[in-house]
Amino acid sequence: MIKNPFAYLFSCLFVLAAHGTMLINIFYNGKYDDIKDLIILAAAVLGLDISYYIIMLFFKQYTYTIDFMLLLILNMSVIFQSCFGGVSFSAKHYITCIAALTACRFGHMLTCNHNWIQQQKKYVWIGIGVLMIIILIFTGSRSMWINIGSFSIQPSEFMKPLLVLACATSITEQQKKHKVWKFDIVWENIILFGITAAVCLFQWWCRDLGSIPTFAAIYAAGFFLRICYPKAKFSNKTLIIAGSVVLVAAIVGIKIAPEYVKDRLFVDIWSDKDGNGYQQSQALIAIADGGWFGKGPGKGYLHNVFAHESDIVFSSISEEWGLLYAIMMTLVILLIAASPLINPPRSYYHGTMCTGICAAFTVQMALNIFGSCNMIPFTGVTIPFISMGGSSMVTSGFMAGMLVAAQSPVFRKPKKKKSKKPANSSARRRSAA
Amino acid sequence: MKSIRRCQHIITIFLLIFIAGMAALVIKINREAPFYMMNSDHHELGMVYDRNGEVLFDGQGTGQYPDNYFLDVGNLIGDDKGQMENTLVARNIKKLNNYSFSEGLLETGGQAAIYTTLDHYANRAVYDAYAGARGCTVAYNYKTGEILVCASVPSVDVTKGYADIANFESGTLISKAMYGTVPGSTQKVSTVITAMESLGRDRLLAKSYNCVGRYLNANGDYIDCHNVLGHGTLNLQQAVENSCNPYFAQLVSDPDLPLENIIQGYRRMGYAVNDDKEEYFNIDGIICEKASTTLVDKNEFRTQWGCIGQGDTLVSPVQLMMWQSAVANGTGKMTMPHLIDRVFSVHGNITQIAKTKYGDKICSEETAQAVRQILLTNGSNNYSVSIAGYNVGVKSGTAQVKEGAEENSLLVGFLDDARHPIAFCILIENMYSTTVTTEQLATVLLNALCS
Amino acid sequence: MEDMNLLFCAVSAAALDICALVLIIASYRERSTGNKQWKKISADMELVEQGFTYHLGCDEILIGRHASADIRLPDISVSRYHAMLTVADGVWTITDIGSKSGVYVNGNLVKSKKLCENDVITLGNRKLTLRKTVNPKKERRKNK
Repeated sequence: MIKNPFAYLFSCLFVLAAHGTMLINIFYNGKYDDIKDLIILAAAVLGLDISYYIIMLFFKQYTYTIDFMLLLILNMSVIFQSCFGGVSFSAKHYITCIAALTACRFGHMLTCNHNWIQQQKKYVWIGIGVLMIIILIFTGSRSMWINIGSFSIQPSEFMKPLLVLACATSITEQQKKHKVWKFDIVWENIILFGITAAVCLFQWWCRDLGSIPTFAAIYAAGFFLRICYPKAKFSNKTLIIAGSVVLVAAIVGIKIAPEYVKDRLFVDIWSDKDGNGYQQSQALIAIADGGWFGKGPGKGYLHNVFAHESDIVFSSISEEWGLLYAIMMTLVILLIAASPLINPPRSYYHGTMCTGICAAFTVQMALNIFGSCNMIPFTGVTIPFISMGGSSMVTSGFMAGMLVAAQSPVFRKPKKKKSKKPANSSARRRSAA
Repeated sequence: MKSIRRCQHIITIFLLIFIAGMAALVIKINREAPFYMMNSDHHELGMVYDRNGEVLFDGQGTGQYPDNYFLDVGNLIGDDKGQMENTLVARNIKKLNNYSFSEGLLETGGQAAIYTTLDHYANRAVYDAYAGARGCTVAYNYKTGEILVCASVPSVDVTKGYADIANFESGTLISKAMYGTVPGSTQKVSTVITAMESLGRDRLLAKSYNCVGRYLNANGDYIDCHNVLGHGTLNLQQAVENSCNPYFAQLVSDPDLPLENIIQGYRRMGYAVNDDKEEYFNIDGIICEKASTTLVDKNEFRTQWGCIGQGDTLVSPVQLMMWQSAVANGTGKMTMPHLIDRVFSVHGNITQIAKTKYGDKICSEETAQAVRQILLTNGSNNYSVSIAGYNVGVKSGTAQVKEGAEENSLLVGFLDDARHPIAFCILIENMYSTTVTTEQLATVLLNALCS
Repeated sequence: MEDMNLLFCAVSAAALDICALVLIIASYRERSTGNKQWKKISADMELVEQGFTYHLGCDEILIGRHASADIRLPDISVSRYHAMLTVADGVWTITDIGSKSGVYVNGNLVKSKKLCENDVITLGNRKLTLRKTVNPKKERRKNK
């Protein structure tokens, strides 16, 4: 905070201004029965803004922009979620947003020292295994939800940051090769492949097919950043050829797929708009109805449709706030994912981690937005930070924390902690001052 | 460093793919938004006008109109209530909706409108002329394809709503011209065209058969003639004028005319023969059934009966009318009918202007001109009194429906007049229950259109 | 009413846009802070080879002949992946990662060694020197 006081002051002010104008917009255009509802919402949003600014002062980081962006998008989502079909403060979403901010801090603390987190890789693997066992035991009857009282948790969400951590690697790791019958093998890569395959199979078994592309994308990013270090030549040409072969195989696969698979992939929602296509067709009608500038907060119709706050949330926002605003909202999330481009990570481990997170964010958004708009098959995936849902919010917050960690890293060898700690911490203090 | 830059490249690729997807999404939504709104329950429809600017449908429901003003076009123009799906409005809500993505649904001030080619005055005259009878009349300009009259009786006044729907007569909510009906002897025009294509004009004109009131075919079934005394020996012109069933039964079973040629000729005309896939064509979105028949064995009763226009054969009045255009034009090419003349967008810009389109060639020019002459001769010999004052080429037909319990009367034809190139098809259901005749309706139709 | 709706939508959209822009600018400001920080962590070193300088921008630097190496030395005497430079607590360490010709620091064959300023690293036929970063701007100022 102290390093760039003006930049941070302006950031604080403009985040407040962005939320303020949204609230003013609701005040003039929104649909509310009682002004009290709006005042509660405004107090909650602006209060969270200001208190988070104060809390942030206690954390010594090199960069804070991701925190600001996170705060911006989370409070935007609180406003969105509170407005569907009339203004009423969505306390549940507000609490999950605070949980996400907390998770962000945890994410930062856990991963800022890449040397340390790298040594914990075994626990990451174990964590994924434990999660799978938990799902097996507790969810029952092949579903993906654990119900505890009125709360329901989706444990598979928590596998995403764990898989990102498992995929992240340092160059040193990639050089630890073992010769097994003519082949140089990095054991970690084999284990990772096994884990990913297991996770995907497991998701298949849980009928949570929508998450598989996310896991696959995280793995693909990790895989790509690993095969850059074989000893033999692995030129771009080979990669392009391999990529196109995969693409052709996918197209051929779709062409010769059995009928029932095709039916799931290509649903004509308009001929079945009261049945299976109901959600999507209503979502598209809502976007068309909203136009560029929307009908006004709270004046939408889509809140009558199932999953309006999670699976088809993009359309709900489009309807009430306009397509322009909804697109800008996705751009803010993209900015979060794009922050490693502006402020590069300083270690390969953090670099691969950022890539994995970016893959997870963009793929989830793509699946949700394009799925609900009938460009690709519709799956029940959430938009990070926007969709209602505790597990997804906390996970996304945690992953944002990992991005913060990549930009505000701590370089310390954990083994030599005792001898080097004083000198290093004093160096850090000096730098912070 | 290279390794970090590699990570950044991959992040960039992910972001770019996503942004490209978003761009595609925005373009897609911008283009398809009117279609999405068409599926919404909430519309702000514009007006539908006839060719003279008379209102045929008022989307806002604000205008004042006389009682039953829209009755004659109710089941053709329709509305957006969802009771009638195969109507102009229901199929073209996208064009008629006062909606644009940038401005949303306009409750006031939208200028979306459809100008149709219909002549409301003539349509109403024909509708009223049915006077209690049931049936439909469709007429169009065979040079341009503009549908001028398309009345289906009974109909519904859309402004009165559907509260009484339980008491509606069957067929009220559809435009009968678009649906298949037994063509009766009007089918003989198709058979003449097919036979002439196969045998050639001169060979067919030289053929004559004997009619003794009924014809015993090779399988031992009788084909009855409506004249029990028989017509004696007939050539083609006489057979058409007398609508002689035994002549056509003998023509079909003639060894010079292979069944394969008949089937091919029918298919060229657009019939779905035997197990062919049933097809549809559409007139500005309104689905219209295509003709179908069964032709199995040329000596079999069912096949011969089908070629005479009874039994399994079904043709929609619109298609009967279209065949008349191919004959009347003398080119063998059908003029495709259209109902929408021009469409105005929500901002009042013309977004669509009708163009004359031609269908496949159903026969050669020589055949078309010969058949045209046969029909014109039939018109001048037999209809100069009943359709007085007009030089028409016509063919009448009587179709047995409900297994012979009722008979429908049909008249297809065209007006040989360069100023009024009109082809028409008139259908009266259960002809014996009414005193109205197809000739009277044709006179009313032509009077209204040529005045 | 329609105009009001449009106006406030435009205003809130603009506020969001400006906010995003401000955050991007702030992020760029932080970039320079991050660079300064990195200089402290990495002791502000660079590798020099006969006029070529290699910037040391992250904590693991792969040196070798292969195209994917961070510092590429296109010389047949250098292995594809020859050595790795790592930094921790402001100290750079060089490690041999299975090279054929070995890594020499100040003429001594080493497997892994912490480096000091002005140490000369020999990889095959190539000689690299680790030194404090020379900032051309500052140099110029000093000369003036």
